[in-house]
Amino acid sequence: MHLTEEQLNEYLDEATTERAQIEAHLSSCEECAARLSTLQNVFAELDSLPELELTKSLAAPFTLHPSLPAQLPKFLTLTAFLQAAVALVALIVAVPFASALLPQIELPSFTKLFFQIQTQWTVWLDQLSTFNLPTFQPINLPTLEMSSLLFTLAGVSVLWILGNGLLLRNQMK
Amino acid sequence: MPTDRDLILRARRGDAEGREAFGELVTRYQTSVFNVCYRMLHERGEAEDLAQEVFIRAYDRIHTFDIEREFGPWIRRVAANLCLNHLEGQKVTAELDDERDADSAQLPESVQEIRERSEQIRGALASMPAHYRVVIELRHYQELSYEEIAEELKIPLSDVKSHLFRARKILAEKLHASN
Ligand SMILES: [Zn+2]
Repeated sequence: MHLTEEQLNEYLDEATTERAQIEAHLSSCEECAARLSTLQNVFAELDSLPELELTKSLAAPFTLHPSLPAQLPKFLTLTAFLQAAVALVALIVAVPFASALLPQIELPSFTKLFFQIQTQWTVWLDQLSTFNLPTFQPINLPTLEMSSLLFTLAGVSVLWILGNGLLLRNQMK
Repeated sequence: MPTDRDLILRARRGDAEGREAFGELVTRYQTSVFNVCYRMLHERGEAEDLAQEVFIRAYDRIHTFDIEREFGPWIRRVAANLCLNHLEGQKVTAELDDERDADSAQLPESVQEIRERSEQIRGALASMPAHYRVVIELRHYQELSYEEIAEELKIPLSDVKSHLFRARKILAEKLHASN
């Protein structure tokens, strides 16, 4: 009687109580010894399988500080720089204008202010159409500065909305 | 260096520091857990996802972990079980594999073309039904006894033996045929 599959498997798993009998049969039966050897090969093949490395760490979701984006995109840094530059220009333009205008302001009504702005706007447009820079009059100076201030303010606002809007959108992701 | 036990006790607090302590445990066992998943699934991306899932689930249930047990063997058994469930979710493939095993001892052509022996072994494992793969994993790589496997998988001892012996026979045939 040859050994059963179960006997051979249990022998290799060291889960048999009839070890001595099995060994006695194996030593005298080539056929069963060959079957055992085939099975042993499977064990060896399985043992030979190398361990592989991970391509990423699985500990990342458990680390204390969730990883921040390493650096802001270049164009965002550029917008911030432009904002600062334009704001600086606006400030330089605004300082003499404000100091000149401040004493004049005596609780101006909004309609009056708008009217003023509108008038100055049309004046400036008029000037632009005629474009006679050489006939630059000192009295026109505040008008020019007012309009350039408005333009720079508009520029800053656009850049501010662009820059911060993008930053916020990034955060919300 | 803190022991696994220290880290588990810290992780149980559930605060930021505890979370980081668990991260340290993950670092210690991630490679062995990933390898369990890779032997079971034979697909790297899937194996990494499942391994990640194993740790996330373990963290969620860390307060139920018996501190007297060893964390490494436990987490690897959890991984084997999770992979089994994952594979059984793909029932259709498993049944097809079962039929293919019955009438063919040949490796699929795509696997035969892969020269490396370890890939042939992995391919042979992957071609078997999930319940065969898991007993091979638990017996050969986690070194569980028949009884421990039966308990882990909640199946009768006789099933553990028949699955294991049958799986080895299939492996012997496939690997011999591709030798
Ligand atoms: Zn014999």
